[in-house]
Amino acid sequence: MFLIFALITLFGALALNFQRNLVVAGLCLVLTFLGVSGLFLLLGNPVAAALQVIVYSGAIVVLVLFVIMLLNAHEEERPAFAHPIQRWGSILVALVLAAGAIRVALASKFLATASSPALAGPMNLERVGIELFNNHLVAFEAVGLLLLAAMVGAVALVKRDL
Amino acid sequence: MNSLAQLLQGSLQGYILVALLLFVIGLATVLTRRSVLVQFMGVELMLNAANVALLAFARHWGGDVQATVFYLFIIAVAACEAAVGLALVVGLFRHRQTTDSDRADALKL
Repeated sequence: MFLIFALITLFGALALNFQRNLVVAGLCLVLTFLGVSGLFLLLGNPVAAALQVIVYSGAIVVLVLFVIMLLNAHEEERPAFAHPIQRWGSILVALVLAAGAIRVALASKFLATASSPALAGPMNLERVGIELFNNHLVAFEAVGLLLLAAMVGAVALVKRDL
Repeated sequence: MNSLAQLLQGSLQGYILVALLLFVIGLATVLTRRSVLVQFMGVELMLNAANVALLAFARHWGGDVQATVFYLFIIAVAACEAAVGLALVVGLFRHRQTTDSDRADALKL
């Protein structure tokens, strides 16, 4: 199961990278987010998986697709000028980073020997709620305020004459 | 090979590997694509890679509940970032009629 979800995630991300059509790229993003939420399920965390599906593949991707269709930017524009050095340089950086990441993850003794503690049942909303409202109440209110500020800011940025 | 079988069945190593590769793919998307919308999607991929690493470590190292609360906050901030970022893209398009990051390289017209 882990292999299936990992492959879905990485395939979606790669397809997003190579897709020219922006709407299809957005749908590849949905595929990636669904794969990630499957990984969260396998980690015994259905709360995070549900949040992932609702917030990311629900709200954020819908917002992105809405903007793509609003701006009528279905295809990527022709490049204004070619810059081969940046392009190949960034591909090289990405490949080197990927090789380094694989090497580090496979060679790490800590990762290989980390034992999983006994699972106290899958995560449920009750435990999250108790932790959230007992120990992180101020942060919770601050996040609510931040969401309000972001909403006001987004409206102010898009409105023509404020 | 025992460790390879464990990796394929989802040991901590496997999750961290997926998270790192997801991050690198997101980085490559930001670096090689020109459309700001696709670059935005690449940023979301990198953010998700961090989330996968966080929850994998929490499951295998303890602190499951705290990590989920932390994840809740990360998701809230990501939603704010998406709203403001997309508003900026719409504002850019209003001023320049483009979503290409090469064509929007000056602050003032």
